[in-house]
Amino acid sequence: MTTATKAARSRTRGSALPRYILQRLITSVLLLIGVTIVTFILTAIVPGDPIAAALGEGARENEATVAAYRERYGMDRPLPERYWIYLVSLVQGDLGTSIRTSRPVLEELAVALPATIEVAVASVILSLAVALVLGTIAAYRAGRLPDQVIRVLSLIGLSVPTFWLAIITYRFFFMELGWAPGSGRLSPTLNPPPQVTGLYLVDFAIDGDHVGFIDAAAHLALPVLVLSLFTVGLLTRFIRTSVLEVLSSDYIRAARAKGLPGRRIIGGYLLRGASLPILTMLGIAFGSLLSGTVLVEAIFAWPGLGTYAYNAAINLDLPAVMGVGLVVGVIYVGINLVVDLMYSVLDPRVRLR
Amino acid sequence: MATRFSRRAVALGIVGALALTSCSGGNSSNNSNNDGDSTSGGTLVVDTAFSLETGDPGRNYVPTGNTILRPIYETLLTFEGGDESEPVPGLATMEVNDEATEFTFTLDEGRTFSDGSVVDADDVMFSFERLMGMEASKANHLVVDIDIEKIDTQTVMISTDEPYLQLPAIVTNPALGILNSEVVIENGGTTDDTDAAEEFLNGTSVGSGPYQLDSFNLTTQVVLVPNPEYNGDQPAQYDRIVVRNVTEAATQLTNLRGGDSHLALDLSGDQVAQLEGDFDINAGPGAQQIFLFVNQSDEVSGDLANPKLAEAIRYALDYDALLELSGEGASQATGVIPPMFPGALDGGIEQDLDRAAAALEESGYDGSTLTLRFPNDQPIGGVDFTTLAERVQSQLAEADINIELAPAPFATEIDPYVNGTAEFAMWYWGPDFADSSSFLPFGPSETVGTRAGWPAEAAPEIADLVTQARNATDVDEREQAFAEFATALQEEGPFIPLIVPARSFASSGVDGVNYNSNWTIDLAELTPAQ
Repeated sequence: MTTATKAARSRTRGSALPRYILQRLITSVLLLIGVTIVTFILTAIVPGDPIAAALGEGARENEATVAAYRERYGMDRPLPERYWIYLVSLVQGDLGTSIRTSRPVLEELAVALPATIEVAVASVILSLAVALVLGTIAAYRAGRLPDQVIRVLSLIGLSVPTFWLAIITYRFFFMELGWAPGSGRLSPTLNPPPQVTGLYLVDFAIDGDHVGFIDAAAHLALPVLVLSLFTVGLLTRFIRTSVLEVLSSDYIRAARAKGLPGRRIIGGYLLRGASLPILTMLGIAFGSLLSGTVLVEAIFAWPGLGTYAYNAAINLDLPAVMGVGLVVGVIYVGINLVVDLMYSVLDPRVRLR
Repeated sequence: MATRFSRRAVALGIVGALALTSCSGGNSSNNSNNDGDSTSGGTLVVDTAFSLETGDPGRNYVPTGNTILRPIYETLLTFEGGDESEPVPGLATMEVNDEATEFTFTLDEGRTFSDGSVVDADDVMFSFERLMGMEASKANHLVVDIDIEKIDTQTVMISTDEPYLQLPAIVTNPALGILNSEVVIENGGTTDDTDAAEEFLNGTSVGSGPYQLDSFNLTTQVVLVPNPEYNGDQPAQYDRIVVRNVTEAATQLTNLRGGDSHLALDLSGDQVAQLEGDFDINAGPGAQQIFLFVNQSDEVSGDLANPKLAEAIRYALDYDALLELSGEGASQATGVIPPMFPGALDGGIEQDLDRAAAALEESGYDGSTLTLRFPNDQPIGGVDFTTLAERVQSQLAEADINIELAPAPFATEIDPYVNGTAEFAMWYWGPDFADSSSFLPFGPSETVGTRAGWPAEAAPEIADLVTQARNATDVDEREQAFAEFATALQEEGPFIPLIVPARSFASSGVDGVNYNSNWTIDLAELTPAQ
């Protein structure tokens, strides 16, 4: 390949990436508008009056209060007008006001989301690290005892109900053994760190508070362990399959024939070759962790997005429900975008057009 | 080479991060390894499932808010412990005229807010008028029927058009806690609907109670610390009270057993029964009751719109068997008024299948299937509505009354209930304030009566009893009227009171745990166990 050809290809790739990102961003915006329409229509057709659900018995009989609530939350306006007001507010960064708490939904999500991100990121990192080791070992020893054991373990991880595991582990490690701290993100004797990111570990580190940092890390341990078990099981099986496929490929045989050390074959060739399906599954697992941890959050009293979404739904707090729907939509769209971009980085054969 | 370099970089990064966090030390004043030993004051940890919405007393009307605001904002009158039979002086003493239409409150001399300023009549006027002006407050209904005027710096008078003996109980509600008017006005407080002090009050408390806010988070925890300017007769007993949001009752139980908390507020009777050893149990009937009703509207129930079907159901049920589902501390609902309130009946209905059969025949019931609607996502005092409905279904089947169950989430099921379109339903009712008059809505043409399609013309005698109870000017005469009202409803009303679920608390090393329907527990009354 001549230098001129390489330069031309590099220029093509250089201009393709921003164009691709722009296209994806436009698509994402359209997708998110679709999400707002669907969530808005769903919340509108749910049988039930959110104002009646929000007010207690006495307040419900007070006509002045009912009228004030309807006016404040725009429930006295036609549906299309409500949606238009919602969209205009959304463009201005306003997700509306919670009917239950009278606080901006954005402010509430800014508290709930970091709590979930913290536990989800830690779970994904732990799961990936464990699953990479187990999946690779299982593939290398396919059909033998280690493979059988790992497959059974991963099946157990997939089969055990996460909420049940949460109850059992909490009782065992906290109550029986005393190895783990109590529920919540922090011990009751400690104050939360000054909010910078909302991630306690990061904020305590920024604040230089080692007592808080260690306490927050200890509180994170059990939820992460519980949430990781399912993801480990899922990823291990995927990694095993992907590695098995790559193991039989010509370039791995060639690398072995050249006498390259096993560690270099695994790190430099094998896992890189198997990375695309793993990345896809990792993205899906991360999205699920961010949006589907409600039972585990309830058991560990973890004030995350799942708990917020559950409370919003049972109280028919429509602005909060729509806020959660939008955030989850943004999360999935964002993760998909990152995964797609990483495809081209990990595998040069994947070209951006 | 590159690999070696990157490993070193990672190693250095880890060491650096550890050094950064470990060398800098814990600098939060409270972030010490306090074990929370409550026996020497210290920290008290209370676990409860939050229903918290605001730190502004005037806007609060939910249980957790009452629990938290009660020790911060004192009220004119109050209750002592779990005794809700009669309000006692709080910030003021009360006198009432013979017609029970004028209530004069005289403030204690020299009582102070948390900034040291004196509580006076202007603060009382502002606190009440602020709530009157906030129509969008859930607590606004407490003050719609009253007028207030200042007599002098220590005295205010509340007047009503009709006799209003429920007023003393109403003014105990934490929504009518007395605010430091000067500070609230400085921070956006007004007496009309432009009030903007909520955000300020979510971060700062301006009451005269023994505690004040240290931190306030709607989703995680609220921390109270002693009010240094408190000069009442019930000073703070703890250096710090942490009220945590723990939604799962099982986690509350585990936290208590593991020593992570001192008091759990939302345990079911069955969970309380599991506790052994050094835990103190406080389990008794709460202030809410679960009931069935048969709609009396022809449009909704057709030929079955008569009280005889309700009577048949009332006598077909085995209440002891229903009570088995409720755990320790629950009791049979002896009428629409729970046992803690004046006028509650001593004994409830006992199963009488012969009477049930006779009433069923008179009702014209033809064996058709009734649909029982109920909310299925809000257990009350650990009583699961679906389980209870299933048992009701099986018991009624034995009396040849066929029902099918139609559970739905509270938020959607509330509509047919409130709009009176449910033919047959199971719901719950709790008092708006700690007074028997909170149960008069079960009367004909009253709130719940209307939902059950029961007009005053259908039961004029009971409607008269409602009026008598509401307009009574004498306490004894009033209690008698409530008892007669409850008795009449058991005879010919469309309601079938079932269970008064328990309020079960478990604690470790804490004294003074008493249930009160106004604020669940009084944090100010809690002391380290002796």
